[in-house]
Amino acid sequence: MRSLRIASRLAWRNLRRRPGQAVLLLVTLTIATGTLSAGMWLSGSADGPWDRVWKATNGFHVSLAYYHDRGAPKLQLDRALRRASALGEEPGVVAAGGPWTLLDGHLDVGRESVDLTAEIRKPGRSPVDQPLVTAGRWLGAGGGIVLESGLASALHVGPGDTVTIQGRPFRVRGVAETVSVGRFPLSQPAQVWVTPQTGREMLRAGMTGEGFDLQLRLADPGNASAFAAAHRSIETSTRSSTMFLETWQQRRADSHSDLDILIEALLAAGGFIAVLTVATAAVIVTGRMAAETRRVGTLKAVGVTPRLIVLMLLIEYLGIAALATITGLGIGRLLAPRLAATSLTILGPPEPPLSWPRVGIVAAVAVAVVLLGTIRPAIRGIRHSTLRSLQSSARRPKRPARLARLAARIGLPVTGVLGIRSAWRRPGRLLTNAAGLALGIAMIVVALGLSRSLDLLALRFAEHPDALSGAAVDALYKQVRAIILGTAGLLLALGTINAFIVAAFAARDGARNHAVMRAMGATPRQTAATLIVSQLGACALAVGVGIPLGLGLWQLMAGGDLPRVEVSWTALLALMAAVPVAFAGIVSIPARWLARRPIAPQLVYE
Amino acid sequence: MAMRDTILGLLAKEPAHGYELRTRLMRALGPAGGALNPGQVYVTLSRLERAGLVRGAEIEQTAHPDKKVYALTARGQERVEDWLADVTWSKVAPVEFHLKLVAAAAAHLADPVALVDSQRLELLRQLRELQDVALGEPAGSDAALLVEGAALRLQADIQWLELCERQWIEREST
Amino acid sequence: MNEVMVARGLVRRYPADGAPVHAVDGVDMAVEAGETVSVMGPSGCGKSTLLHLLGGLDHPDQGELYVAGRRVDKLSETQWAVLRRRSIGFVFQAFHLVDELTAVENVELPALLLGAPSRDARRKAMELLERLDVNERANHLPDQLSGGERQRVAVARALVNDPLVVLADEPTGNLDSRATGEILALFAGLREDRQTLLVVTHDARVAATADRLLSMRDGAIVAQTRLDARGNSLGALARLVDLGGDR
Repeated sequence: MRSLRIASRLAWRNLRRRPGQAVLLLVTLTIATGTLSAGMWLSGSADGPWDRVWKATNGFHVSLAYYHDRGAPKLQLDRALRRASALGEEPGVVAAGGPWTLLDGHLDVGRESVDLTAEIRKPGRSPVDQPLVTAGRWLGAGGGIVLESGLASALHVGPGDTVTIQGRPFRVRGVAETVSVGRFPLSQPAQVWVTPQTGREMLRAGMTGEGFDLQLRLADPGNASAFAAAHRSIETSTRSSTMFLETWQQRRADSHSDLDILIEALLAAGGFIAVLTVATAAVIVTGRMAAETRRVGTLKAVGVTPRLIVLMLLIEYLGIAALATITGLGIGRLLAPRLAATSLTILGPPEPPLSWPRVGIVAAVAVAVVLLGTIRPAIRGIRHSTLRSLQSSARRPKRPARLARLAARIGLPVTGVLGIRSAWRRPGRLLTNAAGLALGIAMIVVALGLSRSLDLLALRFAEHPDALSGAAVDALYKQVRAIILGTAGLLLALGTINAFIVAAFAARDGARNHAVMRAMGATPRQTAATLIVSQLGACALAVGVGIPLGLGLWQLMAGGDLPRVEVSWTALLALMAAVPVAFAGIVSIPARWLARRPIAPQLVYE
Repeated sequence: MAMRDTILGLLAKEPAHGYELRTRLMRALGPAGGALNPGQVYVTLSRLERAGLVRGAEIEQTAHPDKKVYALTARGQERVEDWLADVTWSKVAPVEFHLKLVAAAAAHLADPVALVDSQRLELLRQLRELQDVALGEPAGSDAALLVEGAALRLQADIQWLELCERQWIEREST
Repeated sequence: MNEVMVARGLVRRYPADGAPVHAVDGVDMAVEAGETVSVMGPSGCGKSTLLHLLGGLDHPDQGELYVAGRRVDKLSETQWAVLRRRSIGFVFQAFHLVDELTAVENVELPALLLGAPSRDARRKAMELLERLDVNERANHLPDQLSGGERQRVAVARALVNDPLVVLADEPTGNLDSRATGEILALFAGLREDRQTLLVVTHDARVAATADRLLSMRDGAIVAQTRLDARGNSLGALARLVDLGGDR
C-alpha cells in the first residue's frame, strides 16, 4: 500500500514536470476512444426511433408480400390472395392488415421521374400498420393521397401541395411515417397511400397492379421468426412472381443501412487508431523508463526500485487512459447525434441506448492500449535493473553486418552506412516503429480503394435517370467518403505524430553517439542525415508491409454493396514515393535539432 | 633531523623559552602532539646550543626559577632557510612537511603554497623517474613490483600535498 | 619551434545564479610539436573546459586559438568538424565509443569520415588495434570490452588519421590501476613516437609522463614547468632501497 502511495505521488510529480509526452499520448488515445464511443453510441441508436414508430402504428410482426410481373394471369393472383388470407387465419395471429393492393407507376418531378408504389387502403383504421400521420390528415372523404414522410421531405411538399403522378396532378392530403417500407430515398420505390377511388384513377392513368401486401400481428412478437419458419412453405419464387415472408426484427435490422455503414466505419477506425496508439504508447513508455532509471541513483536513496518505477508509470498512464475514456465518451456523445442527423433513414432523433457495458468496452480498450504499450518495457525494467539493459542494447552481431559492408563498398556516404548499421543493430525498435507506420499506410490503401469504389458507384448512379433520389444517395455516399477520407487523414496525422515521437526519442537516445561522431569530425549535417537514414529503414519496412496489408484488408472489406475494384497502381506508386519523402521531412525536424546541440555537454562525464 | 629543524623553524619567528616552544609545537601538531616526549624539546635545545645554532640567555625572574630564552644565531638562521628550501622527502615526511609549512607561515619566511608546489614538482619528477625505470623492467618481475609500490606511495603523497595546497590557500584567503 | 596549438586569452563563461562563472579565465598556452603536455589541477578548475575549447567541442567567449598556424576560434561547426577529422584525435574519460559499432568500426570511423576508401580504413584500423594489443576484440561491441580495452580502442581511434595532436581528458579516470598502467605505457610509447599529446588529468602518474606540466587553478594557468627526466634512474633506485636512518 505504501509503495502505491509513493508511486502515485511520483506519478503526479512527473506529470506536472513533463506534461508533453503525457499530452501526446492523451491526444492519440482520446481520438481512439472518441471514435470508438461515437460508433458505439450510434450503434443501435436508430432502433429507438424505429421502435417508436412501430409501436405507434401497431406495426407488423410478420409481413407477407407478393409481387407479380405485368401481364401475369389473374388466376395466379387470386390463388396467392387465397393463400395469404389463409395465413391470416393461422393460430397465433391476433390481427391482420390487408391484403392491400399495390400499384406500380412513376412520379414526376420536373423532367425526372421517380419509381412509385401506391398502396390502396380501404377506409377506416387498420388494426395493423396504421401509418402515423406527421402532417395533414389520413385518407378520407375529400380525396387526396398520403405521402411517405421521406418522399415528402425529398420533394419538399406538404399537405395542400400537388404532385404529378403518371402525368396527372394529385393533391397531397397528408404525410405519414411507417415501418412497413423503408424511408425514401434510400429505400425505393417511393410509397404513397391512396383510397380505392384514387386507385382506380391511377389505373386509368396508366399504373399497373404489381401485387399485394399483408401484415400480421401475433400473440407473441417474439414468436415472429418461429412463425415465419413454420410457414416457409408459403414462400414462392417463380419467373413471373415472388411471395416472401419477413419478420419485424429483419426489417428493423435492415432499416438503417447508411447508419450501419457509418457505425462500422467508426468502430473500425477507432480500433485501428487504438492499435496504432499501442505503438506510440510503447515508444513513450520505453523512453520514460530509460530516463527514469537513469536517475535511479538519486532515487534509490528514497527507496525507489525499478519495480516502483514501473508501478509509477502504470499509475500515470492508467490515469491518462481514464481521462481519455471520459473525454472520448464525451466527444462520442456530442458527435453521435450530429452524425445520426445526417442519416437518411432514421425515423426521428436518435436514442442512444445508455449502457454500462458500452462504457466498459471503451474503457477496456483504453486500458488495453496502455497495458500493451507498457508491458514489454516494464518486464525488461523489472528483470534487469541495470541502466544498460534498459536502453535497448545493441544486438551482438552474429555475423558481420553484410548489408552495411555492402553499402560501404558500393560507396554509399558514411552517413548512409552508419545509419544502416545503427538501424540493423536494434531490430526490436525497428520493428515497433515499422509496425505503427505500416498500419497507417494500410488504412490509407483501404481508403484509396473505398474512395475509388465510391467514385464508381456515383458514376453508375449518375447513369440512371432517377436524379432526384440520385442526388440524395450521392449525398449519402459523399458523407461516407468524407468519413473514410477523414479517418484516413486522421490516421495520417497520427502516423505523423508517431513518426515524430519515434524520431525525437531516437534523437535523444542517440545524442551522445552523435556528439561522439561530431567529435570525430562528422559535420552537423552528417549526423542529422545518419538519424534520418536510420529511421528510413523502419519507413521502408512499413511501406513494404503496409501496402500488401492494406490491399489484403481491402479485399476482405470489399463486397456487398460496393463494387469490387482494384486500388489503382498509380495511386500505390504515388503512395510508395510520397510516404518516405514525407517521413524524411518529419524526421528531419528532430534531426536538425540534434545537429544543433552543442557537443561538449554530451561528453562530460557524469 | 626533523626535531632539530622544527625547533629552529619555530624560533625563526621570535625567541622563546623551552616551555613556550613546547606549546607552539603542541599547537602545530594538534592531537599528534600528545605522542611527543616533553623532555625532547629541552634536550634538542641544549644540543642546538652546543652546535652553535641557537644561543640561550638567562632571564631573571622573581617568583620562579630563572628561565632560559633561546634565540637563533646567524648560522641558525641560515640553517632554517636551507631547511625550507630543501625538498628531500623522507619516510616520516608528512609530519615534518606540515611543521615546515606551519613554521614558514608563522615566520612569514616563505609562502606555504609555494612550498607545497615546489615539493609536489619534486615528487612528480621522482615519479617520472620511477615510471621510466618501470618501463624497462619486465612485467611481473620483483623489480617491477618494488617500483610499483614506490610509485603508489609517491602518488599518495602527491595527493596529500594537493590537499595541503587547498587547505593553505583557504587559510590565506580568510 | 613548431607550435601545433596556441591559445591566447581564452575565456569561457557560464551563466550561473547571479554572476557568471568563469570556467576558463584568460588562458595563454602553447603546445609544441612532438611534446607531451599535461594539465593538472583540482576538480572544477576548468581543465576539461580548456580541453573542449582546444578541440572545438566548445567555443570561447573571448580569445584566440590557433591550430598549425591557422586561426580557428571563429570557425563554423562544419569547418571544425573537417579540422577535427584531419588534425585532432580525442580520448575521453568515459571512452565515448559509439555503442552500436564494433571496436574496429569505431576505430575506422574518423578515417571513413576523412574519405578513405573502406578497405584502407579497415586495414589501418586493424593495424592500430594490433599495435595496441587489442585486435582480438576487433569485432566486439563496446559493452563486451573491459574498461582498459575500451580506452585502448579509443586511443587507436584517436590515432587513425595521424592527427597533429591528441587531446586526452582524464584518460585513466574510469580505469583500475592495471589498466592505468597499460595506458601509461601507451602514452610513453606515444611520447617516444613524438606524437604531440595534451593530457588533462588529476592522476599524478599520468601527469608525470609529460614533458611539460601546466598547473591550473580557478580557470587560469598558474604554473608551467618542465618535467624532463634528469636521467637519474640510479637516484630513483637508490631511494627505493633507502631503509631509513638519519641524515
